[in-house]
Amino acid sequence: MPSSADARSRRSRRVLLAELGVTALGMLVCSRVSGETPADFLVVVHPDHPSESAARGFLADAFLKRTTRWPGGEAIKPVDLRADSRVRKAFSARVLNRSVAAVRSYWQQRIFSGRGVPPPELDSDEAVVRYVISHPGAVGYVSGGAKLERARVLGVT
Amino acid sequence: MGRYPGRALSRHTGRAVRRGTAGWLAFQLLAAPAQAEDPGEFESPIDIHGFVSQGAIKTSDNDYLGESERGSLEFTEVGLNFTKSFGPDLRVGFQLFARDIGPLGNYQPQFDWYYLDYRFADWFGVRAGRTKLPFGLYNENSDIDAARVPVLLPQSLYPLRNREVLLAQTGAELYGRLPLGALGALEYRLYGGTIFLDTSNASPQLSSFTVPYIVGGRLMWQPIDGLSFGGSVQKLRFDFDYTPTAAQIDAYTEQGVLPPDFDGRIWAQIPAWLWIGSIEYLVGEWQFAVEYGRSHYEARTSLLTPTIHSKNEGYYAMASYRVRPWFSPGVYYSVLRSDFENRTGISEFQHDVAISARFDINPHWLVKLEAHAMHGTAGLDPALNDVADAKGLNDLEPNWAVFVAKTTAYF
Repeated sequence: MPSSADARSRRSRRVLLAELGVTALGMLVCSRVSGETPADFLVVVHPDHPSESAARGFLADAFLKRTTRWPGGEAIKPVDLRADSRVRKAFSARVLNRSVAAVRSYWQQRIFSGRGVPPPELDSDEAVVRYVISHPGAVGYVSGGAKLERARVLGVT
Repeated sequence: MGRYPGRALSRHTGRAVRRGTAGWLAFQLLAAPAQAEDPGEFESPIDIHGFVSQGAIKTSDNDYLGESERGSLEFTEVGLNFTKSFGPDLRVGFQLFARDIGPLGNYQPQFDWYYLDYRFADWFGVRAGRTKLPFGLYNENSDIDAARVPVLLPQSLYPLRNREVLLAQTGAELYGRLPLGALGALEYRLYGGTIFLDTSNASPQLSSFTVPYIVGGRLMWQPIDGLSFGGSVQKLRFDFDYTPTAAQIDAYTEQGVLPPDFDGRIWAQIPAWLWIGSIEYLVGEWQFAVEYGRSHYEARTSLLTPTIHSKNEGYYAMASYRVRPWFSPGVYYSVLRSDFENRTGISEFQHDVAISARFDINPHWLVKLEAHAMHGTAGLDPALNDVADAKGLNDLEPNWAVFVAKTTAYF
């Protein structure tokens, strides 16, 4: 006949397993949610920007300065975060389809052959937001939790 | 590919520096009011970038890009550039560049490029000045160590020896990018102008050397992200006069080729045309490139000799992979065939198998190590190897190795 100590031990193991299961489920749910939502970054534009969204390829060309004007004719002023930024890494992978290192290589080619210079690099979400709201035509990206002030979020299609 | 005449550009450099000084003053005058009008909280009034490279090269046999058989540190490059935008469409800039690679450069600074660039639309822009030649995938980037994995680009198509001639022209260029919807995009570059060559270090027999024209273009089709198909063509002509020595005149007379109106000088014209077909694919951390090119030359002179035709061929396949942000290995196989309709023996070809490793110590400093297994002596400099001419390259060691180390700092 099992003792009360054994029963307590089994109960505590069941509780522990249940807690582990809940934790694992929680981690799974969280990872799926973060994978489905663009919380890694938000593309932000000037408050007067007329469009709600832009195609991924258009944004890639804008940040690589292959395209220099919005469809309405206004000059595009892209702005990057620093090369070691986690947000830039996510933006680069999903929108530019290249790693940050590959983008740096692209700009090295253009800088030293006289074909262009990269967008300015800013240190923080706050600096990007300030840049975007003070420059008509500007476009940048910030982390999902950044304070946007008057900057508009641009959907990526 | 190809064998262009050409020497260090000291006289031209002097002219270029003088022109450049005036250009710099004009640049400053233009830049000052622009800064005052739009200080821009985050925008640099003038973009300044630069690099410094130092390499070492050692060959098991034969001298390659310097006195490499004993080991050479004559492998230095320095560049500094300034770019200023005036609004979204107008840009001006220039780059100062100096190098010392074996007998080439000798640290003489030159204006590598300078231009005024106006983009009317994404599909049409004009650039005027001294601009890099878009020829193949990497001609414009051949000095830019930070932009690639290998130290030496495949020398079958991007020979360092020909840098003074192949890299840039003075004239104008039209460029643009045309979106093609589901078919991707088409990028074009068309250019025309001349190349200033300095002959001050050439043989005193040479009395003039000019390039009356160079025209060309490159078309790149990018059907999907990272994939490019391209074609480049270039046509140019070298004209020069030289004064033959008494011994040469005797030889010409004996051969019956001296023209009846000989006035002490012989003229020569070398029209040339070159083309390259290119494929590049950038996917994830991989980079693949394949190119094939040919060059055709004719040599016409006032001597009563038939026109000489020369054809060269080069091709390579290259791959590199960024294993970690700080480590990228690469490999390529390159083949050069020089004057392949006239030459025989090991001087007609050069097979080059190269492996490279790039280490990015930090975002502004890299180190590269590279080894080449070579077969054949085409592309080697006869003068460096103490042989009289290209035929003498047949007497050199056919199987040899090249080891290169290089470090570059850039910003």
